[in-house]
Amino acid sequence: MRSLYSTRRTWLHGVPAWTKLAALSAGGTALMLTGALAQLAVAAAIVLALFLSLGPAGWRQWRMLRGLFVACALIAGFHWLAGDPAVGVVSALRIMAASMLALMLTITTRFDDLLAVLETILSPLRRFGVPVERIALGIGLTLRFAENFYGQWQRLDDAHRARTGRGGGLRLLAPLAIRALQTAERVADALAARLGG
Amino acid sequence: MTTTGTMTSTRSLSYIALFAAVIAVFGLIPKIDLPFGVPITLQSLGIMLVGCLLGPKRAFYTIGLFLVAVALGLPLLSGGRGGLGVFVAPSAGFLLGWWVGAVVCGLCMRQFMRRMPDAKGKGLLIAAFLSSVIGGILAMYFFGILGLMLAAHLTLVQASLAVLAFVPGDLVKCVVCAILVQSVVRGMPAWRLDRD
Repeated sequence: MRSLYSTRRTWLHGVPAWTKLAALSAGGTALMLTGALAQLAVAAAIVLALFLSLGPAGWRQWRMLRGLFVACALIAGFHWLAGDPAVGVVSALRIMAASMLALMLTITTRFDDLLAVLETILSPLRRFGVPVERIALGIGLTLRFAENFYGQWQRLDDAHRARTGRGGGLRLLAPLAIRALQTAERVADALAARLGG
Repeated sequence: MTTTGTMTSTRSLSYIALFAAVIAVFGLIPKIDLPFGVPITLQSLGIMLVGCLLGPKRAFYTIGLFLVAVALGLPLLSGGRGGLGVFVAPSAGFLLGWWVGAVVCGLCMRQFMRRMPDAKGKGLLIAAFLSSVIGGILAMYFFGILGLMLAAHLTLVQASLAVLAFVPGDLVKCVVCAILVQSVVRGMPAWRLDRD
C-alpha cells in the first residue's frame, strides 16, 4: 500500500516538512478567516497556480480532487438555488483551495518526515502516558496486515465467486473479522516475546 | 490467556493496529449492493464493529491510529483518499464522528454486556444493534452534520437533509454489525465484550 507521496521530485520536495506544515496552517487559517469573494477568488487562483507548478506530480492526483470538486459544485449549486450564490461560491473556493494546499503537502512530503514531526509535537505527552513511540510501530503493523487481510478477503471472494458466480459481499465479513482477531492474538504473542510486556 | 494490561502493552497494540488494518480493508472493499439497489460503503461498518468488539478505550486508540495514518498521507479512506486534505473536506466532520462514534459504541456495548455477560443470542444481537445505532448513527451524524454546516455554510436543517439519504444504508449496517458481532462471539468464545 503506497502512500500518496510522489517520487517524482518537484520544487516543493526539498522544503522541510515543518515549514510546509506551518505554511499549510497559516494558509488554511487565512482561508478560513477570509469571507470576501474577491479575495478568495484571488487566493484560490494563486493556490491553483502553485498546484499546477508542481507539474505531473500534482495533476496526476487529479482523481483525489474530483470527488471534492463534485461536492463543491453541489454546495455552490445548492446555495445558488437557495438564493445566496455568493455564500456557495465562497464555501466552494475555500474548500478547494484548502484541499489543494493540503494535497500539495501530502504529495511532496515523505511519510517518515511527517511522522517525525508528529512525534516531536506529541513528545510532551509522554509524561502523561501517551505511547508516542508506539505510533510508528502501530502504523507499520497496520499497513502490513491491511495487505494481508485484503488478500484474504480477495481469496474468500474468489472462492465464493467460483462456487456461486457472484461476489460474496457481506457474508465474507464475519470470517474476515474472526481471522483478524485470531491474527491479532498471534501477533500479540510474537510481539510480547520480542518486546516484552 | 494473559490479561490485557495497560494500553501500552504490546498485546493491546496488536489489537489496535490490526483493527485499524481491518478498517483500512473495509475501505478497500468496493461498494456492496444491497438487495433493494442501494449501494453501501463499508468503512463506517468497520467503525461500529471496532467499537462493539474492542471496547471504548481500544476503539479510541484504533480509530486514532487510523486517522493519524490517513493524516500522514496513506490512502486508507474509501476511494483511496488520504492526506491532510480529507480533514478540510465537507465530510471531515464524519471523521471526527467515526472517532467519537466508535468510543460511544464501545461504551454502550460494555454497559449492555456487563448486565448480560453470557448473552449469545437475541440479547447480544439487540445490544450490538443498539450500540451501533447510538454510536454509529447518532454520534457519527452529529459530528458529520456539524462539520457539513461549518464547511458548506448550511443550516442545521439543510445539512441534515443533505445526509438523510445515507441513513437507511447505515441502519442496515447496524443490523449487519450486530450479526457480525454475534458471529465473532460464536467463533471466538473466549473473547470478552464486557471489559475495556
